[in-house]
Amino acid sequence: MKNSLHISLNQKINAFLLIVIVNACQIGVGIHGFQRVVYQDAKQDAWIAVILSFIYAHFVAFIMIKTLKMFQDQDLYGIHQMIFGKYFGNFLNSLYVLYCSFAFVSIIINYKEVINTWVFPHLASSFLYISLLIIVIYTFTGGFRIIIGISTINFLFTLAIPIILLVPLKYANINSLLPILDNDMINLLKGVYSMTFTIAGFELINFIYPNVKEKSKVGKYVHIGLLTTLFVYLTTMLIALTYFNGEQLNKLIWATLSMLSMIKLPFFERIEILIICGWMIIILPNLCIYLWAAYRGVIRIKSISPNKFVWSFSIVIFILTLFINTRSQIEMVNNIFSKIAFIIVFIYPFILFIFALIKKLFTKRKVQNDETI
Amino acid sequence: MKSMKKNLKKKLAGIKDKQPNQQNQENQEDLPIYPNKNDFIKSVKDKTHSPADLIIRYVSPTITIVYIDNLVDVQSLNELVLNGLKDKESITPSEIHSILPIPEINLSIKLNKSINEMLIGAALIHIVGQPEVVIAKISSYQSRGLAAPENESQVIGAQIAFNENINTNLSLIRRYITNPNLCNEKFTLGRHTQTTVSMLYIHGIAAETHVNTVRQRISDLNIADLIDSAVLAELIEDNSFSIFPQMLLTERPDRFSDGLLSGKVGIVVNGSSMAILCPYTFFEFFQSKEDQNLRWPIATFVRLLRFVAVFLSIFLTPIYVASLTFHYEVIPQPLLVPLSESRAKVPFPPIIEALFLELIIELLREAGLRLPTKVGQTIGIVGGIVLGTAAVQAGITSNILIIIIALCALASFTTPNYTMGNVIRVLRFPTIVLAGFWGYYGIMLAFCILLIHLLKQSSLGAPYTAPYYPPRFKDWPDSIIRLPLLLIKRKSVNTRGGNSEHPINEQNGGKKV
Repeated sequence: MKNSLHISLNQKINAFLLIVIVNACQIGVGIHGFQRVVYQDAKQDAWIAVILSFIYAHFVAFIMIKTLKMFQDQDLYGIHQMIFGKYFGNFLNSLYVLYCSFAFVSIIINYKEVINTWVFPHLASSFLYISLLIIVIYTFTGGFRIIIGISTINFLFTLAIPIILLVPLKYANINSLLPILDNDMINLLKGVYSMTFTIAGFELINFIYPNVKEKSKVGKYVHIGLLTTLFVYLTTMLIALTYFNGEQLNKLIWATLSMLSMIKLPFFERIEILIICGWMIIILPNLCIYLWAAYRGVIRIKSISPNKFVWSFSIVIFILTLFINTRSQIEMVNNIFSKIAFIIVFIYPFILFIFALIKKLFTKRKVQNDETI
Repeated sequence: MKSMKKNLKKKLAGIKDKQPNQQNQENQEDLPIYPNKNDFIKSVKDKTHSPADLIIRYVSPTITIVYIDNLVDVQSLNELVLNGLKDKESITPSEIHSILPIPEINLSIKLNKSINEMLIGAALIHIVGQPEVVIAKISSYQSRGLAAPENESQVIGAQIAFNENINTNLSLIRRYITNPNLCNEKFTLGRHTQTTVSMLYIHGIAAETHVNTVRQRISDLNIADLIDSAVLAELIEDNSFSIFPQMLLTERPDRFSDGLLSGKVGIVVNGSSMAILCPYTFFEFFQSKEDQNLRWPIATFVRLLRFVAVFLSIFLTPIYVASLTFHYEVIPQPLLVPLSESRAKVPFPPIIEALFLELIIELLREAGLRLPTKVGQTIGIVGGIVLGTAAVQAGITSNILIIIIALCALASFTTPNYTMGNVIRVLRFPTIVLAGFWGYYGIMLAFCILLIHLLKQSSLGAPYTAPYYPPRFKDWPDSIIRLPLLLIKRKSVNTRGGNSEHPINEQNGGKKV
């Protein structure tokens, strides 16, 4: 069993970089229009749904890190193999690889949709996919450190979003938030559930964990990272809720972008066009980290060189994405993905944790038995 | 990848290897010193193909002096060597060795070594009956005097530059750094040129790994000739395929010494007025030595200005092209009127217009550079004004684009390092093309590729984008800003030694993922 993962020191990163990694993984295309999805269920309490979803995310992250700490220096793939044995473990691993690829596809088609709607209505989607994939390949071949480097730059960009959104704030109507909690709990929880597609991404710490130098600080920085993402999402949500009338929000697919389009500079209008193109740098680490996580899974099953992997992966993704064209198809993919993401990100860690506990107990007893004998 | 590049480099060096012809190989076989006077002279003449400037002087019936005209110092030859050997009839080489008042004097029994020494300015003293020759090193170097730096001029600070003589340069550096730990390792590179190369570093400050890497890379070189330090820098760089320079070429001894003191490794090449400093990060290329001499708020302002200039220089023209080609809606209405007025007569799409003007600017720059100084300036001004005005009046470009292009050109010249300034200027062209085809999306593609490329680079294995990635907060006070000197740690973290916390790319071979 190829369980031990050899990571050389120059592939390791400082724990505080987890802040930017968690942030980079979580903020992607979702932030363009998550307000509508949450608003549909939770109405004016959507911001509470955001907070609740993050509280849940913190809890999940806590469980994940607990599980990871049980197995020294292992990523999720290794843990699968250790708990479930080679065959079933590899089966779960391939499911996870598929999930990562699915996330990759979902991000890339959503971005393409935004570009086609806002910037270039007739730009061929194949060109967009090829250009994005080429950049992803270029980053990926640079290695893990380059991917994290891009995340670091992306962190600055994401932190700029709330600052830019301060401009629409002058038209905000705080009364739109009232009455607070005028909604039944079920709808609020539905809103929380709708947030999952948006805030999925932090599950990738499962794979980055072995590459972190100071393991004891992982928890602290992951939680800080989650808090910074919460800050970005919460401000975006609050500003959207107060800027738009409730019913307007129901009809806007990309509420954040619509808000941006009112910003005017003396020499520049329609700033959202620039920002959408600049969004490339925000989805790039997203794509690369998912790709990297998928690669980690694949080499557990079959050893393959990173170059070969990334090229074949890109070709497959490119062919797949060509079948998804219309808005309704994209919506369908998003719906399926949010369901899968909910199960994998928000439920599965608990199941795994229980299995890990049982496994630990079992091995401990075995060791004790061995000792008594 | 790295190892592949290494191999490629070796291959390239190998191609040069094949140059030496048979004659050179003939020269390789070593001959002894002939005790007989005539045999000795004949062997020297054979080896050197009896050049016209080979001088043979018979001091006495037994003593012969052979040297190359103009390579030896005539004064010391007359006063020290000839006077010292005046009345000596029978004398042994070791006696000469002890009586001649010359600082560097050697004995040799090998003909090849003696001739090599003669070719760099030694006089060979041969005594009949002795299979040994005395090598008196009384060489004189022709070099220009020390002058103010021309390419890296600054207002406040030392006004002295390296010249082409390695000894002068080394003495300049030694005058700045009086420290017994200043190490100087000498190499001789190039089979035809025998160029002296000195590697300098301060033991205890420079990282051991960097010193070893440089030493290894220089001694691995197998080249036929080496004329300038820029060539050496390219040969020992991490990635010769990148457009970005990874080692600094400086003509300022104060900047060089400053680099050594902050833990970098320096290389001085004989015959070149530019010295190499490495490892260097991307951001350090935009720092000037003068920044340390200015008040810190001003230095910070100037540094930030330079980075804004770099950004403008690369992206302003592309943004103009993209906005006018695809994104009319981003231009506010008041600005749209003058823009459309100035572009009303222009028959070309913005990309052609922009490329055309950029080309003119580059032509003016290149012409101004190649012409003699006085003519160059005139051509620059006259060409700029005449061409610019005429182009607008003829209606092939718009006024506003001329302003933008001039701004970009100006901005690209604020980069303190000439090599880096060139890179910034060239990067604009692919960005304009991408912007002309795909608007802001194309610009963003260019930006991303640039960013990833920078992240991928390394200088002597140290990260190129430090101190921002990997983040090294201790270095931030002296990066794109400069805080008061009290807050700046002298030793750059990028060049720290020993058990480095961030051994990024330290092993060149390691495959990452």
